[in-house]
Amino acid sequence: MRHETDRLRALNVPQRVQVELDEQRRPRVVMREPGNVKRVESLGENWRMDDEWWRQPIVRRYVEVVLEGGGRVVLFEDLITGEWFVQT
Amino acid sequence: MIRTSHLTSDSAACCWIPLFALRCETARRPELASQSCALLAPDHPRPPRVWQVSALARHAGVKPGMTVSQAIGLCPSLKLCEPDPVHYDERFAQLLTALAGVCPVVEPVELGRTFVGTDGLEGLYGSPERIVDQIRLRIADCGLRIGSSGVESAIRVGWGRGKFVAWVAANRARPGEAVIVRPGEEGRFLASQPLGVLPLDPDTYRRLRQLGIKTLGALAALPEDAVVSQFGRPGRQLWQLAAGRISEPVAGRVAPEPIIAALTFFSPVAGQELLELALDHLIERALKDPRRSGWRVQVMRARAELEQGASWLVETRLKEPSASRERLLAPLKTQLERSPPAGAVERLAVEFTGFAPGTTELQLFARDANAAARAGRRRALQSAAEEIKLRIKRPMLYHVIAVQPWSRLPERRYALIDYET
Repeated sequence: MRHETDRLRALNVPQRVQVELDEQRRPRVVMREPGNVKRVESLGENWRMDDEWWRQPIVRRYVEVVLEGGGRVVLFEDLITGEWFVQT
Repeated sequence: MIRTSHLTSDSAACCWIPLFALRCETARRPELASQSCALLAPDHPRPPRVWQVSALARHAGVKPGMTVSQAIGLCPSLKLCEPDPVHYDERFAQLLTALAGVCPVVEPVELGRTFVGTDGLEGLYGSPERIVDQIRLRIADCGLRIGSSGVESAIRVGWGRGKFVAWVAANRARPGEAVIVRPGEEGRFLASQPLGVLPLDPDTYRRLRQLGIKTLGALAALPEDAVVSQFGRPGRQLWQLAAGRISEPVAGRVAPEPIIAALTFFSPVAGQELLELALDHLIERALKDPRRSGWRVQVMRARAELEQGASWLVETRLKEPSASRERLLAPLKTQLERSPPAGAVERLAVEFTGFAPGTTELQLFARDANAAARAGRRRALQSAAEEIKLRIKRPMLYHVIAVQPWSRLPERRYALIDYET
């Protein structure tokens, strides 16, 4: 049986990406999928978010970047697992 | 339909189907009966709030007025349904039409609750029990399906002198049953009823409870002046209702006389397209007539005066009364195609001759152009969604709903939900 919660689809779910970092741990190259590799042209704001420390802590480091070609994306690093995600 | 200028009645039967809209939805979609489900409020799109709640959802703690995120937080398996007020109005109009067959004095209060004046019916049917039986019989025969069964098992009927006593009696009746309060027994009946049956705002209710007043009898036992000094003018009305001193009669509405909109052409017209356009325009004009407000059209005619003194007339009776221009135009267009006028038309008229009562919501629909436009858009979206579903075999239209708009995590703020058709 399908529950209503199955039918609720979250919007703006983070998508996993591969990120190459420079020596200061700033994103340099972003790979969304094989063959879709973009160099980071410039860095914008960055901020940190700590939440839900009372159950499953969520700690993220967000970075706003402009990719080659002009696309602006928001990346974050999950500081617990070390994985990178894109979330606009 | 009987027309009189004095459609009032002291004795009243209150017919009440709680959660009428939700039950209409369950009748349309039987799978909802076994699920925790709730209807979203039609007049509160942002943020969406829960309107009517099924027993299973209520058991999980969901209450009307909650936001969607609160409701889903309490009941993760909650099935949310988009409301279809036009559909509920149509079903309620069906019920009102059936009741008008018992007595023309019908006063709808809200969706699912209406009063029927019963003065003089004893000569036709006998005792109040017989009158109530007759009402229930008419309701059962009207073919309306509510919830997972017939309407007769859901409706509660109360009979008494004045609307308040009848309403309280209906409130105390079990589903499918009736409570009758005979003349002279009102005081005793009301005395034992809880305060909640009074039309109280939450603050007054809380204050009365803090004063230790739990029943209408306890309120009526206080001096009227003391209640007035505490609660002002509304307090007087509450005291008089509790003491059975007010007996407000049922007030039916006089059905409007036929509404006619006519158009004389500069030169006789024979083109079907032009005639269809003219019919559309005339229907729109007739619908705007202020006498039509609060009524749906059930019977209408199109009449034409033709060249050389001939004439043309078609009449159509709608299975479901409507106040929508498109719905009224469709059958007339069909008739125009099937049996067009035998000559060029000099004068064309549209007449609304039969009406079915509507609800308060319906009156709002008729008066509030925005609400009507919203309902029209919703219908258009529904038919588009149905078409997409048929073609692609899966729903492709979604609503965006606020789940936790305050959340710091962007993915928790909004979600998509299937656009139900």
